[in-house]
This record gives sequence, structure tokens and C-alpha cells, in this order.
Amino acid sequence: MTDAQLLILLSTLSTGLILGAIFSLVAAGVTIVYGCVWLPNASNGQFFLLASLVAWTFTASLGWSSWLAAIAVIVLGIGLSYLLEWILIRRLYDTPNRNVAYFVVTLGMTQIMTGIFSLTYAKWSDQFSLPPVVDGISMLGPFPLSNNRLLVMVVSLFVLVALFALLRYHPYGRALRAVFQNREAAALRGVDVRSIYRLSFVLGSTIIFLGGILFALAYSFDLTVAWTMSITAFAIMIIGGPGSVIGALVVGMTFGFTQAIVSIFASPTAATFSYLGAMLVILLFRPSGLFKR
Amino acid sequence: MKLHSKTILGLFVLMALMLPLAASGNKFFAFVLGMTFISLLWATGMNLMYGYVGLMPLMFAGVAGVAGYAMVHFTRTLGWSFWLAMPVASLLAAAVGVALGLPSLRLKGFYFTLCSLVIQTVLTLAFIFFPTYTNGDTGINQVAPPDWFGGELTGLGMDMMLAVVAVAGVLFCAWLVKTPLGQRFVAIREDDVLAEGLGIQVVRCKIIAFFIVSLYAGIGGCFYAAYVGFISPRAYDVLVSMNIWLFVAFGGRATIAGPIIGTAILAPIPFLLQDLQAFKDILSGVLIIVVTLMMPGGIYGAYVAWRSRQAHVASDGDKVQEQRV
Repeated sequence: MTDAQLLILLSTLSTGLILGAIFSLVAAGVTIVYGCVWLPNASNGQFFLLASLVAWTFTASLGWSSWLAAIAVIVLGIGLSYLLEWILIRRLYDTPNRNVAYFVVTLGMTQIMTGIFSLTYAKWSDQFSLPPVVDGISMLGPFPLSNNRLLVMVVSLFVLVALFALLRYHPYGRALRAVFQNREAAALRGVDVRSIYRLSFVLGSTIIFLGGILFALAYSFDLTVAWTMSITAFAIMIIGGPGSVIGALVVGMTFGFTQAIVSIFASPTAATFSYLGAMLVILLFRPSGLFKR
Repeated sequence: MKLHSKTILGLFVLMALMLPLAASGNKFFAFVLGMTFISLLWATGMNLMYGYVGLMPLMFAGVAGVAGYAMVHFTRTLGWSFWLAMPVASLLAAAVGVALGLPSLRLKGFYFTLCSLVIQTVLTLAFIFFPTYTNGDTGINQVAPPDWFGGELTGLGMDMMLAVVAVAGVLFCAWLVKTPLGQRFVAIREDDVLAEGLGIQVVRCKIIAFFIVSLYAGIGGCFYAAYVGFISPRAYDVLVSMNIWLFVAFGGRATIAGPIIGTAILAPIPFLLQDLQAFKDILSGVLIIVVTLMMPGGIYGAYVAWRSRQAHVASDGDKVQEQRV
């Protein structure tokens, strides 16, 4: 293998890992909420973008460091999730077929947030980026990778592993999976279903916000990322199987590497096209997805 | 006292046909009125699908776009008359609607809605990335108004034509839902497994519904292109589908009056907020959430519920009086 080939390989590998981990995170956030609350969050892309944009405001206008901005955004995001749950989400907990109603509500939220963004951030700048958390470059053989992206990669993989551990071993995770499988039976066994719903919504939304910040730390972004992310996260959820976290992980990683490879030859839009096609095929022929939960 | 529903419908027809005359003095009001009529036609078609068959087709605007672009291609490149191009383009859109709907026939509820949203997105992308027919993101401007016996149909004549088309759409829908086919639609909405068990051919009914609804979308799309004179992918994107859905849900689904009320109230708003398009998005987003959470029956549904409560109170009052006597 020549140096050039190795360079391309390592570059694809690192981009694929970062994108894959972020895709998996956001899709896991969407799929947890769908599997538990039955809420397909169509505004996940706007949540993702909101986190990035607010972090940008903190760094660009207030001059905070990226560390501080990231932590502030996560805290604000948790607050916002609780607020949304309290105002909107809890009203439909007991409605039958609430997934259509929730889908429509989140489409409405998408419109509201798109409108707000185009009134504010769209007028301020077209391209946004956060200052790096750490400086310097590490050499992976011949391939230079900025320490900043390395950090993002490590953090996102770590969060993904932590999320898995939480769902598998923590009592909350077990209660959540019990509600996934059978709401009534879980309630009979003493699980407080409504509080699990609330926790799941907050956890799912926070993961999406976190994904937004990690993405903003690694790459510069513009307002169209919301739309791309919405499609990608939904495609991952549908293909991986709605409610399946392992599906979100596997398909999310696959999509990340697909995007990294496609971006070498063609524009990332081509990748988005292929996600749409793949989602359509799965919807039509295997609506339960590749990984049944 | 209860007004006969046919009387109300007659009053609506009379008013709809009078309004263009009343608005003809002011170009702005006439334009808003014409757009409201096109929206009414679309909302009536959407109501047929969302209200009566119980599926939420978010690719509605995309299907309208297929007809709009096809009509422009036929009249502009092939030199057809609008009155030939419009039906052909609408039938083409209906065929496309059925073809796109066929695979999603076995999907229900959220999965159908998501699938239709994906199809809408694909259609929008197709409008952008196949500029041979659509001129891409720039759109096509100066679409000629319909020809009319040597001249062009503009001004009051065009507004009257839109009123007639919208009224015809409403009357057809009112007639259709009373027929056995319309009642089968309702049976499918309530429980498609039960409907299948009762001997209703669910798939066939859904295909017919797709065809009729796409025809509504297509005719509206053609008149939109000819009336506004400019079409772009933005004119037929998912926000338009959501807006039309909102007209139906806000007014009251599965009623004839609902879409009329919803369209009459909501359709003129964007034109009053001309320079503030972003506010329009925010407003319709808020309305979508409010309608879904607080008034699933829409305005008309709330009115019906209120009236039946009044009737209840009144009859209870009668009983009390009888007891006293």
C-alpha cells in the first residue's frame, strides 16, 4: 500500500468513525423516544442544529470557550426538554395511535424552529464554526489528524458506550426496556410508566443536543444540516428497526462510513439521496426494520 | 331550529360565485380570493383522503407539482391549449399518485405518513435536479394564463373560473361521500380489517381514493401555475402539503363545511403577512400543534360538540319544567 492510499484510508476511517458515532447518537436518541413514548421526533434535525447554533452564540458573541459553551448547551437542553415535555408531550401519553399525532406535532415544531432560525441566524451568518477545544495535530502514521477531531471521536464513542451500559445495566435502562416491550405489564410490575416516558424524552432529546455540539466541534456547518440530519436520523431509525438501539448503532456506523466514502467521489447530497431510497425500500418491504427489538 | 344542510350548501355556492364580482374592484383582494379558491379545491381533496379514508398524504403538493410542471411543458413546448393540457396533466398526476401510492397501500397511520413524506421529499428533489422540465431551483416564470376563445382568461373571468372549479370540487366531494363508495371509505378509516371482513375490497377502494385525490391535487396544481404565472419547487414542497392538511384539520376533518371554514380563515393569512414569510411558518407551526393537541375535531367539530351540548342542556331544561308542571 502506498502512502497516498494509506492516507485516503485513514482519512475515510477517521471521518467515518466521527460521522458514524454522531449519526448513531442522534438516531439512538430518536429511536429510544420512539420505542418508549411512541414519539417519532421529526424535529430532531432542528434540535441538533439548535444545540450547534446556541453553542456558536456562546463562543462567538460571549467569547466563552467551547468547553463552557458545550456544558451550558447541555444544561439548557435538559431544561428545554423538560419544558417541552411539560407543555406538549405529556398531553398525548394516553392517546391511542398517538404516533401520528406526535409526528404532526413535531412537524409543527420543525416549522416553528425553521422560521425562527431564518429570522435570526440566517441573517447573521451563512457558515458557522466553533473554536477548537484543544490545539495541535497528531500524526497517525502519515496522516495528520487534529487533536480536536480526535477528542470529538473519543468523546462520541465514549458516550455511545455509556448509553449502551445505561440501557443494559442501570435500573432505569431496565425499566425503559420493560416499557418498550409491554407498557401494561411494566406498570403492573411497579414501573412508573409516565415518569419513564418523561425520562426517555429528556434523555433522547439530550443525546440529540449532544450530537449537535459534537458535530459543531468537529466540522463547520450551515442551516441546511438540520434537514440532512432529520432525513438521516429517520432513515437510520426505520432501517435499523424503530426502537432498536443496536440497530441505530449498526446502521448509523454504516451510514457514517458511507458518507465518508461517498464524499471522496461525489457530494454528500448523493449520500442523502441513497438514505432516502434505502428508507423507502425498507418502509415498503420490511416496516419492522432489519433489527427487530 | 336546524337549517337544512342542502340549504347551507346552496348558500355557500351562491356566495362563492358572488365573491369574485364583489372583489373585482381591487386586484389584491381578487388575487387573494383566487388563491383561496385553489386552496379550497386542494383542501377538499385532502379532506377526502385525510378525513374520509383516514390516511395523511403528505405527498399531496408533490403530485400537484407533477401536474403543474406537465401542464407548463404541454402548453409551452408542445403548444397545446390549456384546456387540453390541464386534463391530460391532471390525469398524468393521478397516474403518478396511484403509482406512488400503490406500494404504500398496506402501510397505515404513522408509517403511511412517513412514507408519503419521503415520497414528497423525493419529488421536491426531482423538481430541483431535473431542470429539463422544471428549470431547477429558479423555477419557471411567465406561465401564460389559460386561453379562452382566442383571447386569454384573466381578471374577473379567471376568478369566476376558479370559483366554479372550487365549487364543483366541493359539490363532487359532498356527493361522493354519500355514495356507497364514500361510505366504504369511512368503513376503511374506522377499521380496515373489519371492512375487509365485511366484503369491502379495501385495496381497490384505496386505489380509487388515491386516483380521485391526485386528480384534485393535479387540477389545483394546473390552475395554480396558470393563475400565479410562476412555479418553482418551493411552490409544491412539503410545507404546502402541511398547510393544506392544516386547512382541513383546523376547519374540521370528515365534514364538508370543515375545509371551507379552515381555508376561508387560514388561506388569506400568508398574503396579509407578505414580507414576513418566516412569521407565516411560525404561525402555521403553532396552529398545527394547537389543533393536534387541543381541538382534534377542528372548528366545525368543536361547534358540533357545543351545539349538541346546548341541545342536551335545552332538553334537560324541558324535563325539569315538565316535572314542575
